Amino acid sequence: MNERPFGDAPAIERDLFEAEDLTPAEAEAVATSDLRAAAGWLVLGVAVLIGSITMDRLERQDINPYTVPGLLPGLLGIVMILLGVLLGVRSWRRGGGRPGGARLHVDPAIVRRLALVVALILVYSVVLVGHGMPFWLASALYVTASILTLQQPQRAAARRGLTFRDVALAVAIGLGSGLLVTYVFQDLFLVRLP
Amino acid sequence: MFEGLADLGHAWLGFLNPTSLALGLGGALLGIVVGILPGLSATLVIALLTTLTVKAQPNDAILVLICSYVGALYGGSRTAILLNIPGTAANAASCADGYALARRGEAGRAIGIATSGAFMGTLFGVVCLALFAPTLAEFALSFGAFEFFWLALFGVAMSGSIVGRDPLKGWLMGALGLFVAQIGQEGLYAFDRFTFGWGELAGGIALIPALVGAFGVAEILITLSDPVERKLVELKDSVLPRFREVVQYWRTVLRSGVIGVLTGLLPGVGEDSGAWMSYAAAKATTREKELFGKGSIDGLMAAETGDMASVPGHMIPMLSLGIPGSAPSAVLMAAMIIHGIQPGPMMMIQHPTFIYEVVAMTSLATITILIFGLFLVKPLLLILRIRRTVLMPIVFLLCTVGAFANASRLFDIYAMLAVGIGAFLLRRRGYHMAPFVLGMVLGPLLDKSLRRGLVLSDGSLAPFFTRPISMAFAIVTIFTILLYVPPFKRAVRRVTGGVGALVRATFARHPRSGDVS
Repeated sequence: MNERPFGDAPAIERDLFEAEDLTPAEAEAVATSDLRAAAGWLVLGVAVLIGSITMDRLERQDINPYTVPGLLPGLLGIVMILLGVLLGVRSWRRGGGRPGGARLHVDPAIVRRLALVVALILVYSVVLVGHGMPFWLASALYVTASILTLQQPQRAAARRGLTFRDVALAVAIGLGSGLLVTYVFQDLFLVRLP
Repeated sequence: MFEGLADLGHAWLGFLNPTSLALGLGGALLGIVVGILPGLSATLVIALLTTLTVKAQPNDAILVLICSYVGALYGGSRTAILLNIPGTAANAASCADGYALARRGEAGRAIGIATSGAFMGTLFGVVCLALFAPTLAEFALSFGAFEFFWLALFGVAMSGSIVGRDPLKGWLMGALGLFVAQIGQEGLYAFDRFTFGWGELAGGIALIPALVGAFGVAEILITLSDPVERKLVELKDSVLPRFREVVQYWRTVLRSGVIGVLTGLLPGVGEDSGAWMSYAAAKATTREKELFGKGSIDGLMAAETGDMASVPGHMIPMLSLGIPGSAPSAVLMAAMIIHGIQPGPMMMIQHPTFIYEVVAMTSLATITILIFGLFLVKPLLLILRIRRTVLMPIVFLLCTVGAFANASRLFDIYAMLAVGIGAFLLRRRGYHMAPFVLGMVLGPLLDKSLRRGLVLSDGSLAPFFTRPISMAFAIVTIFTILLYVPPFKRAVRRVTGGVGALVRATFARHPRSGDVS
């Protein structure tokens, strides 16, 4: 698909990597992004190759030398290096990495929103879950906090503050989902929860 | 032959009881709900339900999973028609014509066509599954390490070539998936690879947490980063399936069924390829070409029949070779392994009736989507009115449980997060997840086959290229990769005239997908 149509609403951000009709500046920005990614693939490929070459060949166990554990990872490292170089050369030929050239633009509002979502999921799954707090409580806290914080931009756009109703609804959904998931998985289907 | 028919009859009778019917309907309903919700995929629902049914009887658990698989792909068409957003990736080809019909006030008719196309497509696929999977499995009994090496490599190369617009990125993701599968204790000597002395990593990155990350966490991040709430087209007319149109467009149904099953046979290409290729074939042969993209019934029927026929199609290589045809079938395969059934050629010896049970389960799934196509269309659409800021945190809750529950390891939750955030960043740079998933699934097979093959041949590479079946696989794999190298492609074009272009056009989802350089 050339575009990601959202009903009658305009698309927030065009997916340049899936689009066919790129402007020269967009094509250059994509090529620069690919060039950076190629460097990443190259580094990963070299690291994998070095890791495979230095991997124990189990000579003390007297294994068949064709079955050393690092054989396939080493080959995969070489493949990543080759494909990374191809990606880099292609991006370079398409104008990537030119000093002062076009770069991908990411809306700072989207970055802030993403940072918030990532922070919320990390706090929930790394800090709250699995360290003694009951699962239903950790989940209720996470869902309630997520709803309240993620809906803030919509409230701000509508120029209205946080009401008691908003908080009560978020708490009800949080508690409801935490308790329901705990009941269905743990009590009904006998699945262990974190 | 008759033994197979008897097994099939037994399997069908085995599922004709209230418990199985209720489980099938429940699985399909959950699948449809997840399919309707944009961003949530069939892969995710199967992974989450695998967790939920881990303590259930194997046949009950797999019945639920198959019904949810079929249900999710069918449910995705509703969103494509009413919102112009594919509910799952496989419904993308239905967007243009389905949404155009909905805008003309024929949303119900479009949903009815999608239901009849989905029913016919799955039914056709089920017949092919019953006919070909046992034969292929018996043929695959003659495969050795050399053949499996090529089969695994062919799977990853093919998936990388076809999925997405850029084969180079597809192959890179395939290589990454194969590498991730090498992390942890390897299969021959129990040696820890790339664990850096970390005990938790010795168990490796498990498939289900990785998939929940790639298809759940990444989707949550993508969905929540886009604050636009979408507008739903009103549903006014009848949503009853249109079997008169199936008769009218029987050529499209049959052609799309064949294309769907054939794309299903290709490893790791996904259901969306079945839909796009059927759509392209319908567009090339139709009499109403000018209507395509503007509300063509032929186009919608082709897309929906093609994607649904590829579901049983994907199960053919998964069951008979142990090579999944798509990401959802990869999770289905993982679930079967959890329940003690190892798909692959040996399955016909260890569990000879299981293929027929899967056929019966998929037939039941076909019937459930027809039931839900007749009833519950309008009530189920209410789910689209739930705000994403409410829904997505709850989905993340389920993802956390899904990642944790199979092995009760907190490490699996961390692996899910790492894969999810990584997948999100990669997807925003044009990398697709299907080759990665296939790489993860086929990594252990590729590793074992390569090393066992080299032991058998005492280090010689010759048998990898000279054994008849190996040679055929090697030629196809190398040819697939070389087709994307411009000088080779030009040479092929010179030799075959227009045939090379036709093959590429047939196998490429987008007619002008990127080349290596």
